[in-house]
Parts: sequence; C-alpha cells; structure tokens
Amino acid sequence: MTMKTVNLSVTCQAEMDCPKEIVMWNYYDHEHLVGTHYKLYDHARVLAQRDDWALVYRGKKMPFLPFWSGGMALQYMEGNVMKTFHQDQLGFLLEMEVEFEDLPDDRCRITATYNIITHPIFKVFEPVFKALFRKWFWATWEEDAPMRLRRWKVHKLGFKDFSGIDYINECLPEPRDKRVPAFEFRPPISCLKAIKSVDGERRRFAHSTEVGYNDD
Amino acid sequence: MSNSVVKSNVSSEERDEIIISELGQQRVCPFLASMDELSKHGQLTKWIEGHDILLYIFEGKVKAISNICRHFGGPVGYHKAKGGKFTCLWHNWEYDCSSGACLTNSNLPLREYSLHIRDQKIYIDLL
Repeated sequence: MTMKTVNLSVTCQAEMDCPKEIVMWNYYDHEHLVGTHYKLYDHARVLAQRDDWALVYRGKKMPFLPFWSGGMALQYMEGNVMKTFHQDQLGFLLEMEVEFEDLPDDRCRITATYNIITHPIFKVFEPVFKALFRKWFWATWEEDAPMRLRRWKVHKLGFKDFSGIDYINECLPEPRDKRVPAFEFRPPISCLKAIKSVDGERRRFAHSTEVGYNDD
Repeated sequence: MSNSVVKSNVSSEERDEIIISELGQQRVCPFLASMDELSKHGQLTKWIEGHDILLYIFEGKVKAISNICRHFGGPVGYHKAKGGKFTCLWHNWEYDCSSGACLTNSNLPLREYSLHIRDQKIYIDLL
C-alpha cells in the first residue's frame, strides 16, 4: 500500500543583467555560502565532488525560523537545469530545480522551483512553506545579485580567475583590444582546501561593519 | 607618497586632476576622494577609469590598493578592515592592510597605488 503524499511547491522567477553562465557559476560556488551569505550560512563542507555534481553539508538559518540547522545537499547539473536534493535536520527532503535561460543583450532568466513531497497533514502549512521559500529566494538573490553583476563587470575588464587585468596588477598598458570573450562555466569551481576538509569552511564574521559595494 | 607634484590643474572639462613629474615624465593623476569623504569610515571604494580602488587609512597613513580580489574578482574592501587585514566578501581571501600582500596566497598580492594629497584632496596615480 502506498502512502498518500502532497507536494508543497513554490516557483520564483527573476532576471539578471548578465549571461546565464555567470549565475550558474554563482549557484555552483559552494565557498561563497559562508562569504557572500555569511548572515545566512555559518558552515559549508564539500564532502564529495566531481565535474558536474557535489555533495555538500551546509549550516544555515532560514527566514522566520529562530534556529540554525544543518543539512546535506546533492547538487548537479542537467544541461541548463541545476537540481538539488536537500535533506535537512527536520527530516524534510527538499527538491529544487533551477532553470537558466538566455535572454537578449547578455541577460538571463532564472526560474527556481522548490518542492517538498510529504505527508498530507502538512498541506495545512503550504502557505507558510511558500512564504518561507519566497523569502529565502529573495534574501539570497539580493546578496547574490551584486556578486553576479560584479563578476560580469570584471570579466569584461579582462579579469580571469587568479590572473588577468594586467593593466592593474602588473601596471602594464591597458590593452586596446577590448573584445569580451564569452564567460565559460566549467565546474567544478576551484576552491580552497578548507571547504573539502573535515572541518569545512566557517564564516569569518558573525557581525561586520559593511562598507559595501560601489559598482554602479 | 611622492612630493614631485609640479602643478594642480582643473581642465576645461572640469576634470579635477594634478600633473606630476617623475624621472622626466609627466603623469596625470585624477582626483579620487576628499579627506572628508575618507574620514567618515576610514575606508571607501571607488571605480575610476577601469580601476576599482580601495582607499583607507592604516596606522595614520592614507593608502590605496586594488579592490579586485585576485581569486575571483570580489570586493576586498566590502567589510571594514579588522586586525590589520581585509577579508574579501565572496570567499574570505585575506589581504594585509600595510602592503596589500595576500595572506591566503602569497603569490597574488594586490597592487598598491601611489597617492598625492593636495588641499585635503586625494589624487591617484593609475599608471
């Protein structure tokens, strides 16, 4: 006999002024969780990783909930869709799909769908689930948006990971050829060893005086 | 900081800049910020001609380094410096305030820029 279930589901959609590969890079960057999102995540550890998948432990604080909780996530790419299965300490299995679409003029659209398939008794909590995950989507979006836009901006200046922009770092003349190569997303993203260690990577700040971005 | 400023100049296009002369060469240094602006937080960032500058006061000296993290290009000066080091927002790479040396990967220091202060205004040599 199969148990009856309900699917609690919510979809969030937004657009960005950068190519979709930048956003894919951002979603697939596990180290930035305790950096960019230091108010939302306090711990991240990559337990296993190959080119297009990763098993990651994350310690985070969801909106509205008064406690930090840990959870395991299996994250992988299927073409232009990133899929994540996230099991948290409360026992829920969250299935998340993020679809990345190109738009004209180096823009893109991101559609994130969160699903929890669970016992029908939880159907009554669906409005709470929707509010929680909408809030989560927009909280992380607001912190990620300037990161993506800056990543695209420095790419256009000639920055490459660990190198590039020699007119700044090496004091060389600024190149005349300003053609911008396509941004390539090639997982896995190179990262510090700490996040792959037993201790993982912890956030460095519980509180910070933020001077902020100035990228406009 | 160099003392080789030969003259101040506000061009016809109202660009605030000074011209310095070093080793027989003249260089234009654009205005970056006022001391007033800087003293508010002791640290600020500003884009100028394709350079992202992190301007700050460290041990009483006004200094400027590149604000573009050598790792993935993040904003080094997003957090106010703590314990004599900057920590990049994105992935926590650390840099020494005294020199811009990278404490996470010693092969990847940030560029330090020369500054010239005239009449409470800070000018930067981008070359």
